[in-house]
Amino acid sequence: MPWFLHLALRQLFPPGKRFPAFAMVSILGVALGVAALLVVQTVMNGFGEEHRLRIRESFGDCVVVGRKPIEQPQVLLTDLRRQPAVVSATPFSEGPALARRGDFSGVAFVRGIDPVDVGQPARKYIAQGQFDDLDDGRVILGSGLARALRVQVGDKIEVWSPAMAERAEKGKAPLPAVFEVCALVRTGFTEVDDRAALIPLRRFNELWSMGDRAHGVTLRLQDPAAAYEVAARLNVGYPDLQFVPWQEIKKNFLEAIRFEKTMLFFLMFIITLVASFSIGSTLFSAVIRRSREVGVLVALGAQRWHLIGLFGLQGFLIGALGTALGFLLTWLILAFRETILTTINSVFGNGDMVANVYQFSKVPLHYDSMDFVVAAGFTLLVTAFAGLVPAIWAAGRKPSEAMRDA
Amino acid sequence: MPDVVLQAQGLRKAFTSPAGPLVVLREVDLTVHAGESVSIRGSSGSGKTTLLQLLGGLDVADAGDARFLVPGRGLVPARRHLGQGVGFVFQNYQLMPELTALENVLLAAQIAGHRATLADAQALLSTVGLAARWHHLPAQLSGGECQRVAIARALINHPSVLLADEPTGNLDETTGAEVMRLLLQVVAERQTALVLVTHSREFAARASRQYVLSNGVLSLG
Repeated sequence: MPWFLHLALRQLFPPGKRFPAFAMVSILGVALGVAALLVVQTVMNGFGEEHRLRIRESFGDCVVVGRKPIEQPQVLLTDLRRQPAVVSATPFSEGPALARRGDFSGVAFVRGIDPVDVGQPARKYIAQGQFDDLDDGRVILGSGLARALRVQVGDKIEVWSPAMAERAEKGKAPLPAVFEVCALVRTGFTEVDDRAALIPLRRFNELWSMGDRAHGVTLRLQDPAAAYEVAARLNVGYPDLQFVPWQEIKKNFLEAIRFEKTMLFFLMFIITLVASFSIGSTLFSAVIRRSREVGVLVALGAQRWHLIGLFGLQGFLIGALGTALGFLLTWLILAFRETILTTINSVFGNGDMVANVYQFSKVPLHYDSMDFVVAAGFTLLVTAFAGLVPAIWAAGRKPSEAMRDA
Repeated sequence: MPDVVLQAQGLRKAFTSPAGPLVVLREVDLTVHAGESVSIRGSSGSGKTTLLQLLGGLDVADAGDARFLVPGRGLVPARRHLGQGVGFVFQNYQLMPELTALENVLLAAQIAGHRATLADAQALLSTVGLAARWHHLPAQLSGGECQRVAIARALINHPSVLLADEPTGNLDETTGAEVMRLLLQVVAERQTALVLVTHSREFAARASRQYVLSNGVLSLG
């Protein structure tokens, strides 16, 4: 082992000291910075992934729509189901309607779905009641819409579709469709939860006078990540239709999540930078404290690069050990995140925001190895630099001055 | 006549002060031969330490030249060959506090790139009477013991000349006398030249040549 590495290790971890204050405080500072960076990144990744999953589950991996309703949806469905990239294809129709119960009313975005489709995404987000109770006389309401109408499972609501207004214009007295609420759905997307009303597609087509047509088709794909490519490929065979990949459905929302993650990374980057500056200043004071030793090392024949190695290595070692400890801290914080969150909620009385606002049963996570590589690389770079600055300063001093100043 | 191991010619050094340049050394010449011991005495602030630092290459003279003997290479400029032909013993020992006595001695060899073995370092520590204290840290040693370690460290690279700056300055009278006896003994045994800077007339008198530094001028005393 080179002497300067041996001495660097000894100066960081002096023999006989179980907790060398300088090394411990510096390493802990780096570790906390790294952990803060990675915890935020991993949780933000988790939120992003969870939201992406919900978008896909709520709207499909790819939505096929046209400028006009699809005339023979069964033909299209059969054709699409033959495609290797497609797992399933389900028709849907949707449109706004007036929902009313007694003195309370609201705009419902009614969606006609296939009630026997086992892949219906709404099944996963049923908050009350049973999805399988859905039939021609029953409706599944978004939780927000149910709250606006003051209804619960078992209550009845009236639905007025635009086709009924047309009928009224023609002088016929339209009667509202009456549905019993069989379930409530809660996805966490306000625009879905506050407006959604799910009824069987056949019933929708009756109320909207659609015949056998459908407004669109929802596709589930083998590889949702390749939705852009698959949509573009499928679109070639159907120039009159538009294949919209899930990434385009909520593009602004996904961009907002990505932007939020970038901003948080920037903020955490500053935290780590501050920790590194503190290492720089601590190393600087250590170098000044060791001025005489620097002078003696030069008197013994140490070269300039030896001294840079001696103190630069200490910065690098602090960075390396701090990063490793930071990884461990990250894992611990994330493993016990629910306990930590419960404690914070109980202290500050915030309630369970994750469940109430985001509709997540627990804080979502998604480990991205690239985040860890970037955090480690950045931290090592900054701490090594923080060690190098005082090292270069020390190496540039005259030994006689160094020995006099201490 | 033995080989010249240290040669200084026309050394001049001045420091800036609020009152103007403070001349510490004026045209100092000094030649030391192998195995010779030279003492330099002077009052505080007379420039003894500055002269020693110029001789050892730790500082740069305003004018003049200092060279010492590196075996196989002849007389070389002091500044460019630190740690090779010269050993230092300082008043405050200047040991690395995190290294044991043995590691402190070996460090000098490692830095200079010498192939001193563990056995060499152990033998030197035994010579200075520290056979049982190899693995002790400086904080666990007395002042006299630390200075012995410093002497062993200065000798590990077999220097042609050993420069000692007040080596007994931090020690009590008895310990100082013992360290001085040891220092003179080991340099005599190893035929190493010694330049000793000291306040003490008694210790200075033990050197084969004695100088006094006064008003920047070095003269035989």
